[in-house]
Amino acid sequence: MDIRFREKLSLRIQHLAGWITFPVWGSALIGIMRFGARYKVEQLHQIRKQYKQLKKSVEGPVLVCSNHLTKIDSAIINWSLVSVWTYMRSFKFFSWNLPERANFYNNFFLRTLCYLGSCVPIDRGGNREAVKKSLDKVTYLLRKGHPVTVFPEGGRSRTGRVDVEGFSYGVGRLVNKVKDCHVLCIYLRGHNQETYSGMPKRGARFHLEMTMIKPESVHAGLRATKDVAEQIVNQLALMEQAYFATCGQ
Amino acid sequence: MTQDEVFGKVVEILSKYSKSDLPADKINMETSILDDLKINSARLVDIVLDFEDVFDIEVDDDDADSVITVGDGVKLIVSKL
Repeated sequence: MDIRFREKLSLRIQHLAGWITFPVWGSALIGIMRFGARYKVEQLHQIRKQYKQLKKSVEGPVLVCSNHLTKIDSAIINWSLVSVWTYMRSFKFFSWNLPERANFYNNFFLRTLCYLGSCVPIDRGGNREAVKKSLDKVTYLLRKGHPVTVFPEGGRSRTGRVDVEGFSYGVGRLVNKVKDCHVLCIYLRGHNQETYSGMPKRGARFHLEMTMIKPESVHAGLRATKDVAEQIVNQLALMEQAYFATCGQ
Repeated sequence: MTQDEVFGKVVEILSKYSKSDLPADKINMETSILDDLKINSARLVDIVLDFEDVFDIEVDDDDADSVITVGDGVKLIVSKL
């Protein structure tokens, strides 16, 4: 179902406000990650180049699906994929995301940062009308060509590994609702990140791997939803296996 | 199939996913699948897929969203039989 004009307008205003103020909050956020917490993303230049190539290689909407270990994964992904200068020139590259309302909307500062940082809050496991409303907004954004980042597991991996059993199927529904939707699977992990946490450890070095897929299902309805979600999570699990085979802990 | 028979089979399906200690004989039409049976919302799709298999029906995404209580599930199945 499409969203109402008022909601579309509100998303446009949010996007514009995020762009206008990005030089302040974006630089501060990335500055804190780089210099305050001393985070480093390995092969940042190559990652950005690869992202640009992958985006160019497909037509249509791109949904970014990542494994999820810390509360700032989406910030690290946005930092890794595109440079600050590119965001300043064109904020359309900045990915929208769906943070859990309970984690990020409990104080004014975080709420403002999430608003400016293109977030559409979601109440996971909460009122299904409200969840549906958030998903409808994201579906609209994807159809309009905005990148959107979601975590298909539906939460941070409690075991520290991609959860191929208890994941949420919402991502499958999203992909099936958006015509020609490609999925950019991202495996992100700090080398010293043993399991899930709030924030990565100070000085963490991140490994980021990505691959573009186009999940399809021979089924229809709910079965297709499940099938597509499984394909995405299984891809992330494969990337995790490759990570441990090469970088191993 | 009567509503009572459908109810019995629905309770059987739900018991596979339930993490609550609520005994089967205490489950009624008003029992909330998420809150009372403590079933993870992500598993609702699996439950509805089980409904499809057991009752040989087809349920779309929007109909699946309407299943909040045991009674919602039973009514949905009865309407599709």
